[in-house]
Amino acid sequence: MFPLEKVGLPTRVSEPDAKKNLLAREHVRNSAAIRSACRAIIAVLLALLVTSIPILLSGKSPSLAYWSLLKGALGSLDNVAFALNKCTPYILTATGVALCFRAGMINIGGEGQIAIGALVASWVALNASGPPFLIVFLALAGGVIAGAVWAGIAAAIRLTRGVHEVLSTLLLNFIGVLVVSAMLNGSMGEEGAGFPQSPLFEDRVLLPKLISGYELHVGFIIALAVAVLAQILLWRTRFGFQLRLLGGSRPAADYAGVSFAAGVMAVMLLGGGLAGLAGAIEVLGVHYRLIEGFSQGFGFTAVAVALLGAADPLVVIPAALFFGFLQAGALAMQREVGVPSSLIFVIQGLSTVFALCAVGLDRRRRV
Amino acid sequence: METIFIGGLLASAIRIATPLILGALGGLISERAGIFAVGIEGMMLAGAFGASIATFATDSVVAGLAVAILAGMLPAALVAVAVTRFRSDQMVTGLAINVLAFGLTGFLIRGLFDGRPPAIRIALLRPLSVPFLSDLPAVGPILFQQPILTYGAVAFALLLHVFLCRTSMGLALRATGESPEAVFAAGNDPVAIRQVAVLVCGAIAGLGGAVLVLQDVGTFTDGMTGGRGFLALSALIVGRWNPLGTLASCLIFGAASALEVRIQGVDLPVNSYVIQMMPYAIALIVLAGLGRGTRMPQAIGRAYHTG
Repeated sequence: MFPLEKVGLPTRVSEPDAKKNLLAREHVRNSAAIRSACRAIIAVLLALLVTSIPILLSGKSPSLAYWSLLKGALGSLDNVAFALNKCTPYILTATGVALCFRAGMINIGGEGQIAIGALVASWVALNASGPPFLIVFLALAGGVIAGAVWAGIAAAIRLTRGVHEVLSTLLLNFIGVLVVSAMLNGSMGEEGAGFPQSPLFEDRVLLPKLISGYELHVGFIIALAVAVLAQILLWRTRFGFQLRLLGGSRPAADYAGVSFAAGVMAVMLLGGGLAGLAGAIEVLGVHYRLIEGFSQGFGFTAVAVALLGAADPLVVIPAALFFGFLQAGALAMQREVGVPSSLIFVIQGLSTVFALCAVGLDRRRRV
Repeated sequence: METIFIGGLLASAIRIATPLILGALGGLISERAGIFAVGIEGMMLAGAFGASIATFATDSVVAGLAVAILAGMLPAALVAVAVTRFRSDQMVTGLAINVLAFGLTGFLIRGLFDGRPPAIRIALLRPLSVPFLSDLPAVGPILFQQPILTYGAVAFALLLHVFLCRTSMGLALRATGESPEAVFAAGNDPVAIRQVAVLVCGAIAGLGGAVLVLQDVGTFTDGMTGGRGFLALSALIVGRWNPLGTLASCLIFGAASALEVRIQGVDLPVNSYVIQMMPYAIALIVLAGLGRGTRMPQAIGRAYHTG
């Protein structure tokens, strides 16, 4: 028999010990969060450092470029409001992706789910009649349901036919975006606009602004609330524990009687719903209409944000802020110092790769 | 009229499929060695960038192809190191590479030319008739009046089939994707095999991007691969990880795209976007139809490490 005391495992748990274990577990959890935050910061700094090389190649100064990027994102209250709007879809979608990650599912279908969510929300905003707040609510709810259905298709194919969700969500992205294009070039398009877009929504069905005079809409607060709720769901509820169990060890989940199918379906519906909500908020709060290609790249960025946020909804918030600020400052950087805005995709791609490597290294060291 | 239409459709299907074929075959090499090839899109884009810059600068197609190969290998090298040395998640690494390639090519095409992308115009490679064979009735004009790189891509599919099934190196490659431990036990280095496989994948996918520039588009635009890498990835899976099946599914996807181009202008009850959706929908339906019958390489996605 293997002596359990030797490896530091208690053979019998007494009452006070149980409490101590709980505290110890909390400590492990906190130190894991700190470690993943450090990993993310190092990855981002490294990415900024490496990205200086192409900036130097193009004959510009990296520090000047980064400074104008920062100024563009946070230089004035207007800029901050604009930037926080940019962060909103990332927080929502990445929170959904993070929950999926925790359950061992890689949902890269954010782009399609956002597109379909926005499509349904726009349809509701254009066609529903009734009191304004009801229409806004119905539009947001429609977005959630549509996004959830779109992700649910991928989950269903995974569960019944065993096709990996990365492939199905990826293919559904293309189909979803094309469905939006088809609608905008068809019955939902604005006549004579010259660009595939829907007519403007009426003012009364738009998402209210948070502070009058600034662009920031209430969607940002919704996103923050969703992230906090997701954190509670993940760490403080039975369902959250089941998700983590599914992601941590499938055999353990089976042994504990946690249904793989139910868990996968539930988490994909949740993730898709959040992405759909992001799409709905984007059209009702930022564009005021459905525009072709507005969701481009969101799905991937959400995966990167979730990853930098170590699949922890609360850590996802700063990661989403970082990516949103990059996006918001990019145009100012291009205008002021002539550094092409594509640069931010280099920063995003590199910080993701570095974060992935750090996660891999960390796992290797501890195994 | 009918036959000309169908003949022209099939001929352009083969031409349009060429970048897909190369991308998918590159991905096949990587996946048979056990590394998910989600980064094909980025590698193709890098190749397209390299080919257009080099051909534009030197006026030589050969230089364009050579630079495309190197350009495709750059992101591949990053993937190879990240997934084998750092054991990063293969799927997400591939996605990150795609974004990186999108950003870097878009940045460089402006940054290297004082902030404004140069007007690159490259003469497209003309179809090359194979003597005698191109005179065959019906199939001649379809199969044997293609640009040179198209012949190359089809030949490569056949060669790859022979390599995988008939050579010991091909066996080692396939074994690395099934059981790297067995490869290690047999005295080979699975990590090295995987790294080389990913690099070769980058080179071939880079060529695929070059084909897109040199045979189809003639210039470089931001994100010009437009999802072709992902389509190649689907083709490779629909083709069940073997070169001939992959070739066939690429041709089907090519036919769908060719159809889409040809029916624009023709008044049809279906929206052209529905036709554009077809390759993706076909891929999804076929994947779901094959279901668990799709036996992917056993060790794919799993990092290999010794003791």
